[in-house]
Amino acid sequence: SSEEDKVTVYFINRDGDKLTAEGKVGDSLLDVVVDKNLDIDGFGACEGTLACSTCHLIFEDHIFQKLDAITDEEMDMLDLAYGLTETSRLGCQICLKKFMNNMTVRVPEAVADARQSIDMSKNS
Amino acid sequence: GGVCVWGSARRPGGRYFPGAPSTYRASSSLPDEKKEFLQNGPELEDFVSGDFSDKSMWTEYKGNLKRQKGERLRLPPWLKTEIPVGKNYNKLKSTLRSLNLHTVCEEARCPNIGECWGGGEYATATATIMLMGDTCTRGCRFCSVKTAKNPPPLDLNEPYNTAKAIAEWGLDYVVLTSVDRDDILDGGAEHFAKTVSHLKERNSKILVECLTPDFRGDLKAVEKVALSGLDVYAHNVETVPELQRKIRDPRANFKQSLQVLKHAKKVQPDVISKTSIMLGLGETDEQVYSTMKLLREADVDCLTLGQYMQPTKRHLKVEEYVTPDKFKHWEKVGNQLGFHYTASGPLVRSSYKAGEFFLKNLVEKRKTKVI
Repeated sequence: SSEEDKVTVYFINRDGDKLTAEGKVGDSLLDVVVDKNLDIDGFGACEGTLACSTCHLIFEDHIFQKLDAITDEEMDMLDLAYGLTETSRLGCQICLKKFMNNMTVRVPEAVADARQSIDMSKNS
Repeated sequence: GGVCVWGSARRPGGRYFPGAPSTYRASSSLPDEKKEFLQNGPELEDFVSGDFSDKSMWTEYKGNLKRQKGERLRLPPWLKTEIPVGKNYNKLKSTLRSLNLHTVCEEARCPNIGECWGGGEYATATATIMLMGDTCTRGCRFCSVKTAKNPPPLDLNEPYNTAKAIAEWGLDYVVLTSVDRDDILDGGAEHFAKTVSHLKERNSKILVECLTPDFRGDLKAVEKVALSGLDVYAHNVETVPELQRKIRDPRANFKQSLQVLKHAKKVQPDVISKTSIMLGLGETDEQVYSTMKLLREADVDCLTLGQYMQPTKRHLKVEEYVTPDKFKHWEKVGNQLGFHYTASGPLVRSSYKAGEFFLKNLVEKRKTKVI
């Protein structure tokens, strides 16, 4: 039934605001951000073609453990993402499943601070 | 002129036609006051042309120019433009189809198309041709050009055909640009260079500017393009060093882009180098000034500054709409720092009236015998 399909996801955006969105099983997290017009800008620049890392999201530990294994292609792009963590993945590659209902994902900072130029990621 | 009134029309005899245009409300049945209003009121041209260059509107604009948390700024009046018209514009547009050329002017719907294609007092029409397809291998947060990991392969006939078409087109100044092609070994440098050399062979008088990618820092590739016979080597740093990581693809960075510009001059000292930055992404005045100094120190000759505008919801929001006066300030700073020219304005883009600026400057410099 259509109710079985629905998954609620909470997004913490870069301002620290908690946004609530409802997607369907099978939607990618990028689909949810774009289709639900969430207030997260500069997200999904390459439209999910694994040619950027702008859909970088940080997951809760217990959710991260259950995600499908990362491919080499995703890893190549994720490695370039700013503020990479142990539970980071690219949102365009993670599709909603029932166990994700009510999970919280965090949108990482795009840059530490406009005044700083220090970048601790692998790419610096 | 005549006024057509939409709405239900009551014909004599009681027949009812909802929604039909009614010209039965003939002006002779209107009160004198209304007749005079129609006679002296606005014509169609007034609605179409508007009065967008009225400076009094700009200083009176009370809208928010600096983005607050959660807000999306509204477009200020100085960023609205006129509909392109004119003999030159129409001529260029009509020959485009038959020559099978792709311009970024049309693809990106640049608002300056009428001005650039129209040419200025030096009659230098400028157009920017896109080479190597419309699909890029990178996804930058400010750019809406399509992205793919493996775009379609290059058309090996493109350099020859493009050169032939441009020569026939009769442009005075052409800008050749491309997407990033990280999937190609030399990033497309050979393809670029061939297009320039073919073009110069057919018409040595045409001025050629190449707006290139960073070729991932491959200086041999930069050299290939720099030695192809072009007149102006352009590569955009896009923003201040502090914001590079935020707005550009992580494979791009300020140091690399500066190296591209320096190397072009190193291998071809006669070339004129050029770069462009977008304002309104959250940079500070100190950062902009310091960036301009770094560019001048790298012997970059020409600088353009324009307003960043958010192309789609997947791209970065505008942090600030910089006023026309502020842009004029940066133009003065650029001139003081010693750039050959600084084109600075909200709608200025990298190749905005490039031919115009180039020749105007060259002519003036020659008069004072600086060059």
